[in-house]
Amino acid sequence: MPHIELAAVSKSFKTNKVLDDISLSADAGEIVVIFGPSGTGKTVLLRLIAGVEEPSSGEIRIDNQDMADVAPEHRDVGMAFQNFALFPHLNAFENIASPLRARAQGESQVKDGVARVAKLLKIDHVLGHAPRELSNGQKQRTALARALASSPKLLLLDDPLRNVDAKLRFEMRLELPRLLRQAKSTVLYVTQDYKEAMALADRIAVLAHGKFVQVATPQDIYRKPATLSVARLFGDPTINLAETTIGDDGTIALAGERLAVDPSYEAWAGRKVIFGVRPEAITVRQGNGTGLKAQVMAVTPLNERTVLLLQTAAGAELLASLPSSSTAIPKAESGVEVTFSLNGAHLFDHETGAALTGGSA
Amino acid sequence: MDHTSTFERIVRGILIALVMIFFLFPIFWIVLMSFQTNETILRIPPSMVFEPTLSNYSALITGTLKTTAGNLDIAFMRNLGNSVLLSTASVALALILGVPAAYAFARFRFRLGEDIAFTLLSFRFAPPLLVLLPLTLYFKQLGLTNTYIGLIWVYQLICLPLILWIVRGYFEDISPDIEHAYRIAGNSWWQTFRKIAVPLAMPGIAAAGLLAFIFAWNNFIFALILASADKQPVTVGALAFVTASGIQYGQIAAAIVLSIAPTLALALYAQRYLVEGLSLGAVKG
Amino acid sequence: MSSELVLQNVDKIYGSGAVHAVKDLSFSVKPGEITALLGSSGCGKTSTLRMIAGFETVTKGSIALDGKLIHTLPPAQRQVAMAFETYSLYPPLTIAENISFALKAQRLASQDVGKRVKNMAELLEIGDVLNKYPSSVSGGQQQRASLGRALVRKAGLYLLDEPMGQLEPQLRAVLRGRIKHYLREHNCTTILVTHDQTEANALADRIAVMEGGVLQQYATPAELKVRPANLFVGTFIGEPPMNVFPVRMKDDGDRIAFMIEGGEGQNLVYKAVDFSDPLRQRLKREPSLMLGVRPHAVHIGGQGLKARVVTCQWLGDQTHIAAEIAGRTVVSVSHEQISAKPGSEVFLSIAPQELHVFTSGDGAAIAHGASLV
Repeated sequence: MPHIELAAVSKSFKTNKVLDDISLSADAGEIVVIFGPSGTGKTVLLRLIAGVEEPSSGEIRIDNQDMADVAPEHRDVGMAFQNFALFPHLNAFENIASPLRARAQGESQVKDGVARVAKLLKIDHVLGHAPRELSNGQKQRTALARALASSPKLLLLDDPLRNVDAKLRFEMRLELPRLLRQAKSTVLYVTQDYKEAMALADRIAVLAHGKFVQVATPQDIYRKPATLSVARLFGDPTINLAETTIGDDGTIALAGERLAVDPSYEAWAGRKVIFGVRPEAITVRQGNGTGLKAQVMAVTPLNERTVLLLQTAAGAELLASLPSSSTAIPKAESGVEVTFSLNGAHLFDHETGAALTGGSA
Repeated sequence: MDHTSTFERIVRGILIALVMIFFLFPIFWIVLMSFQTNETILRIPPSMVFEPTLSNYSALITGTLKTTAGNLDIAFMRNLGNSVLLSTASVALALILGVPAAYAFARFRFRLGEDIAFTLLSFRFAPPLLVLLPLTLYFKQLGLTNTYIGLIWVYQLICLPLILWIVRGYFEDISPDIEHAYRIAGNSWWQTFRKIAVPLAMPGIAAAGLLAFIFAWNNFIFALILASADKQPVTVGALAFVTASGIQYGQIAAAIVLSIAPTLALALYAQRYLVEGLSLGAVKG
Repeated sequence: MSSELVLQNVDKIYGSGAVHAVKDLSFSVKPGEITALLGSSGCGKTSTLRMIAGFETVTKGSIALDGKLIHTLPPAQRQVAMAFETYSLYPPLTIAENISFALKAQRLASQDVGKRVKNMAELLEIGDVLNKYPSSVSGGQQQRASLGRALVRKAGLYLLDEPMGQLEPQLRAVLRGRIKHYLREHNCTTILVTHDQTEANALADRIAVMEGGVLQQYATPAELKVRPANLFVGTFIGEPPMNVFPVRMKDDGDRIAFMIEGGEGQNLVYKAVDFSDPLRQRLKREPSLMLGVRPHAVHIGGQGLKARVVTCQWLGDQTHIAAEIAGRTVVSVSHEQISAKPGSEVFLSIAPQELHVFTSGDGAAIAHGASLV
């Protein structure tokens, strides 16, 4: 039996339907990441589960109990907010202690509970400070500590790393999995950063236009995206896309050439499709072979990888990415030839954006 | 970058001094007058040098005015007491009613919410004279004429809108997530209101209360019409100095000084909070 | 048209000595070069940009454009185009009118202006909002409009203040490429200010890393990565950041061992011949050192340091593995998809050419890749 279940939940504000008939379930101890671009209703979803907002329709069940009439304070949930939402008039210790005090724990129990979680998050030395005296990173950890303090069975984390600088965000991304596993709670984690999603999740639920477009493991989301929009949301640089039609012989027309992609494509002969290939699946070689000819417009390093902006003779733009430590990075304004592993290619329907085929396993 | 020249600083100083003289002169003059006898006040030409006397104050405090025509009983101290009682009680009631109402307006969306809020504010706009005649009749019918309860009730027209509008702004400024966090931590709605919303809005509540106190204290017309001499505050009580034997300027001045002393002191003490409160929490931490 | 910028011993002090924001800064930007001023907030990069633009006076030193001193001139006379961090678009004008604003002063034919604006807008993917007003487009689109407004002008120097922070993630890679290509094609001398080392590395020919008002190092991205001048630069540049260990060195003639402080006998052992003699002499003089190694140089497997896996994160095109040694977290990056179970043991090996050695005290670089700096 799943720990938490959402069944046909919808939420509208006046005429704006933010969540449209969504369903999701998570098992105890699972980390489910709710991913989507900003403004798609992820925060609203967490608020519904926490109980501070009511769904317009549908059911939310925790431990098989309908939460419809259960107030937030009775749901045994811990929540960390994007903007921290620390109590400004209480110091860090009291902030973290509030879930423990609300459960009427004795003073020494409260002290121990706060100390334990503060040590875990490495903020035990700033417990006496007021929130305004804390750095952003410390505020974020205090907010997390407060959510974890009462060891809730369900943890709701609303983009907790959003307002924290890049270096700290990276550090926390490495630390969070261990922290969350130690907490042993079921976790619903909201983020707009696909790397965070892939790094933390057991499963990712992609939310777009009020619906879950795909719910799957990070592996499947990346390698077998269900729609064009999912493919675009995961991966930096974004997946290369080109409109084309499948020929009668199962080939596709790309940049003025016919490419044999996969024998099974014959099944969709005559269909208008969108062909997608990820930048890391593109091989770039100096020289004149049988591959696609292109000009390097710009070489832009991207940390451990280097991105090449290429332009084909037909004027189409392509992004390729190579390891930065590679010795064969071409220079700007040089001519190269491009091939791609058809294993990493995707086809999407031109109208609906639905995937016709995924890449490799 | 500090590049004000000495000339600019002198000119600035002179202008500030002029403005201060303009605003503070009346108060200064009244204070002076309160220490002078009627004869000294009415002397021509007026003089700054005189022998100060406490006879005005003693007359007020003891309640007897010795005039050329004989002794007069002055109930000024009683008026002062009424002012304190009416203002304090009105503000207290307005806070008890207004703060939860302000929270409701800030946090909950309900039908006609904005309309109700605006109606309540409109009480401040309307001239009191508009409602006075009907009020007098109602009061008579309800037997509320010349009662403290009646006056406190009517004073809500002055205090309640202020509290509602200032405190509502303060509640709106508190991020709802902070209250959500407290509830999710395991606390009920009431505990959240008491322990989070009210403490965080306290500067606004204090400022609104202070302002309401000052406005209630200064009110003249309600007390004049709806109450008789024994329940009237100082604003009305000052009229008593216009006697048959002439206007007792000295005592009026002393009465004025005693009337404005409490609110002046309060405002000076809490001026920081007033400014903070009236800027409606513009600073986001 | 592209100019050369030279800063000479520039100091900036705010408020009669209270804040010394920029300390004795000297650097030059060649015509057509793209330079980034990089550092965390408060490092002095924004003050420097504002002095170059003319919104702040120079307390000491000089700024020259093409040999002509400009630090006493008002902003309008400096031949400089600027894109502001806060966009500063004119609210009553459409996006197209905003972008073309400065062009009008250059007295171009209106057809010409229209074409230039359209091309710039398409480059920046805002072609479909040209007729909208700033208040009705997103923050990312406003930022691009502000950038377009600066770039479409002809100026000797382009100043870009955090120009791409609000960009939608899906557009970043392609716009970086296009903007870099545009700047090169038009030979624009550009100074870009950012706190994001990813952005600086992507766009700049050379990066000036600043901290505490002091220029730490001014070099190409490759140089900064491979030969950082000190520990600050080494750890600031790169994501994941450089792994750093405090170590003690022991040289017994045959082998050199770096002993990790706090580790229970965790050592990195190398053949002494892999290190140059001058380096060995130098290292012998330092009781304790800081050893740095970049994540891609930490190889999983082989023989070396024993570590416990904390987390293994596959991000689509690379895998980040964090492992614990001696209470410290080491990050390794691989371009393959690796899976390593958290809690399991792994061995980490690091080639001597990948080592960076810094002093313990001020963090100055001693050696990069087994030879002296």
